[in-house]
Amino acid sequence: MTGGYTGKILRVNLTTKAISTIATSKYEEFGGGHGIGSAVFFDLVGDQLPFEAFDPRNLIIMMASPFSGTFMPGSGRCEVQGLGPMLYPIEWFGHSNFGGRFTAQLKFAGWDGIVVEGASAEPVWINIVNDKVKIESAKGIWGMDTWDTQEEISRRVIPSLRYGEWAELAENCFTTQIPAVVCCGPAGENKSRLGCLLHGPGSQAALCGFGGVFGSKKLKAISAIGSGDVPIADPKAFMKARLWFRQFQWNVDNPRDADKFEGGGPYSLISGRPSGGNVLNREMPLIPARAAACASCPRGCRMRLASGDSNESVCAGTMVINVDGSMKFTRQGNDLMQRFGLGHWQLMPLMSYVQSLAREGVLGKGKQVDTNLPLDQAGTFGYAEALMRQIALRQGIGNDLAEGCARFAEKIGRYKQDVNSGTLSLAYWGTANHYDPAIEAEWGFGSLLGERDLMLHMMSNYPIHWMAWSGSPYLTAEECAKLYTDAMEPYQGDVFMVDHSDGPTGIYSDSKVKQVAWIKHYEKFWVGAGGFCGWRWPMCITNNTADRRGPTPQAEPKFWNAVTGKNLTFADYMEVGHKIYTLDRSIWVLQGRHRNMEVFPDYIYDRPSRGHDMTMYIDGKWKYDKGVGRKLDRAKVEDFKTKFYKFEGYNPENGYPTRQTLEKMNLRKVADALKSKNKLG
Amino acid sequence: MSEDKNSEKRKASQKRLSRRDFLVAGGTVVAVDALIATTPAKGIAATAPAAAGTSYPASKGYLVYDSKKCAGCTTCMLSCSLVHYGVQNPSRSRIQIMQDSWGKFPNDIKMSPCRQCVAPVCVQNCPVGAAFVDTANGNVRRINSNKCIGCKTCIKMCPQQPHRPVWVVINGTGKSSKCDLCIDSPYWDEKGGPGGKQACVEACPMMAIKFVSQTPDQEQTEGYDVNLRNDHWINLGLVDNSTVVPTKSLEWKVGGGE
Repeated sequence: MTGGYTGKILRVNLTTKAISTIATSKYEEFGGGHGIGSAVFFDLVGDQLPFEAFDPRNLIIMMASPFSGTFMPGSGRCEVQGLGPMLYPIEWFGHSNFGGRFTAQLKFAGWDGIVVEGASAEPVWINIVNDKVKIESAKGIWGMDTWDTQEEISRRVIPSLRYGEWAELAENCFTTQIPAVVCCGPAGENKSRLGCLLHGPGSQAALCGFGGVFGSKKLKAISAIGSGDVPIADPKAFMKARLWFRQFQWNVDNPRDADKFEGGGPYSLISGRPSGGNVLNREMPLIPARAAACASCPRGCRMRLASGDSNESVCAGTMVINVDGSMKFTRQGNDLMQRFGLGHWQLMPLMSYVQSLAREGVLGKGKQVDTNLPLDQAGTFGYAEALMRQIALRQGIGNDLAEGCARFAEKIGRYKQDVNSGTLSLAYWGTANHYDPAIEAEWGFGSLLGERDLMLHMMSNYPIHWMAWSGSPYLTAEECAKLYTDAMEPYQGDVFMVDHSDGPTGIYSDSKVKQVAWIKHYEKFWVGAGGFCGWRWPMCITNNTADRRGPTPQAEPKFWNAVTGKNLTFADYMEVGHKIYTLDRSIWVLQGRHRNMEVFPDYIYDRPSRGHDMTMYIDGKWKYDKGVGRKLDRAKVEDFKTKFYKFEGYNPENGYPTRQTLEKMNLRKVADALKSKNKLG
Repeated sequence: MSEDKNSEKRKASQKRLSRRDFLVAGGTVVAVDALIATTPAKGIAATAPAAAGTSYPASKGYLVYDSKKCAGCTTCMLSCSLVHYGVQNPSRSRIQIMQDSWGKFPNDIKMSPCRQCVAPVCVQNCPVGAAFVDTANGNVRRINSNKCIGCKTCIKMCPQQPHRPVWVVINGTGKSSKCDLCIDSPYWDEKGGPGGKQACVEACPMMAIKFVSQTPDQEQTEGYDVNLRNDHWINLGLVDNSTVVPTKSLEWKVGGGE
């Protein structure tokens, strides 16, 4: 290992209090991040599956990537893995990730990742200062919200720390940075399946309910601070690549086509411009603010405001709580969600469902689902606070709501009815519906063939969706299809990968199979193993260049090779992504996955689509079209799945990976494990 | 590595510093008595410092910055450590960006590049002449790590907070280092220094750091912390005053959602 890695992964057993290391080199073939995390999970507990997420055998794996701690643009997210208690009907081996600067500090401290196993009898937190690691008592911290927790832990890590001064971490080791802390809130402590992990004021690992797993382990937080080096194999090439990348960034002083892309509208999301992720500071008078970036991100999609609220929250982190008539209380309501440690992506459909049941007369004081929630005050800060408090502390109805949408609905006997009707707007494995699978099929299929909502915004549908929807696309549909698919190595040249029609080259076609495979492989390697931000990568098209071509697929291997010293191609790394996806899928199979489970709720098939502007090839011509009224065809979806399993090397009868596929990927032991359970494809 | 031969010849024995002298810079008044008393290396105080009142030719280059434009990505810090040491490590960076994620704009970020002081206290007080004015390269204030004995005098003398000289460990030995405007950047194929390029300036995605040749106001912090924003920045909805209204609407032109 020459560059990018520190060489060791921290292993902490909270039951025995043993602290040890795993050599990163043992897992180098998986790249980093998600890839190494999956391999470690399989090695440590794969033979014990299935078991439950709150079982002490479950692991929390938090992996950095070779890019973490470097200035690789839009990288450095922390990949969290383990059995996810909010996933349904099985708590799949899941993943979530968060931005900020945690993995950067972890790398500077000398660690490529953390594996936490077991469970403590008493509340604890893990204190990492360079190579010194301690399991500390969380006495006085357990019970705090996420913000107070981080402040208190920073104080305990470096008592002499003063903002704006150097601090001595150890002899000859200095930093001006503050400890990076990730923690659960009260929701996680109480094993809520909605419990997120929070770092900073607004960086959530929202999906999967890993805050609840922290709580089940009596683990309140992990803090990392370091002063060491991240080695770079070819520093000159890395610097050259970084400066080459500037052409793809939003030029803050002189943006290309400013008249078109400045101001409001969907381009604030997809143009790569700073601060566009926080939607809560757009009304006049504006609150003075800065764009705030995660470590090394050239975009800076977040904000920090002069009011100090809504700092570093973006997208759903600013959208779940809406207080009628008050932007200020809307910001503070969403901040309260962060402080309770409630995952935004789970809380959003749950709040809608509660309102829906109330409107139906099923839920309320003295009703079938009895609650003292002030339902008549919905839309106020007080209502939002009461609801979140009950969920986080498992008070009243909150005890059932803390089980998450799907399990709550199941408990009141309405799951099948409400999820199939769409009253409960879940779509894949207990996570909320997002983009319409009937139109933006790659999002739907990519989620269904995974373990949770895809949540990869820069995959094809997202930049195309918003560009087209702006009413002023910067590419024609034909140009878009060509440029986009030109970047999709190794399947480049098949323009129909982004055909979103339901015609012969559309959403059920062989081309769509390739696109979904490309997405899963990119997800597992570049986003997962590389720590990329899903709001930044891939970049197949961009408004920031004259020819509208993005840095994908040139940039990814250019940076990776400069950092690590390897000399592989984009396609080589995508094949590693295929391998990681296959390993993940094998773990799901060991948990009980079968192709028969990979189906959408009825409403996804039966409810006519409202339509979305996307690239479609209709009657021999490319156009942006909506597909209004379209329904997913069950038989064609099943046919699509069959083609996908074959394409990926899985048995189409059950979706299980085959021995041939696994051995070709040097995953013989995985094949043996599946064979021992009679689940080899 | 290019060094100022004249500066190198400046003998430590030629330097004298009155124990009554006080340093006044950047609004900070520091008693030299106390500082020298805290210098860890023994027996060097009598050998080194330049005479009070010694004047130095002004640097021909400075870094100014806009702390309201900075997004805190720390790309500048990592660029600095990369081009100078071939690794990425903010603790080695000669520009420090500190931020309080819960802070209120604009006090949530502090940017701290070296000021290339007109009266360079680090140069003035270095006991062995390792800190010097590089007259061959635009009078940039530099530290020759080969000559540095690790006494930390420059660090303790720097009146800025945080101190701009940076403590780095090179081959197991602690040394001081400081911004050289990328004159000596062995891991970058660009000419640095005045007239050249600086890694932090080139890499900053917010264009929040700028090289200037005119000496900034030495008395006020604002002399270095300047406004580098134009209307394009304001049109992102990023204002430093609530009375400012962007020329373009920030409202969505069309409705709907995901």
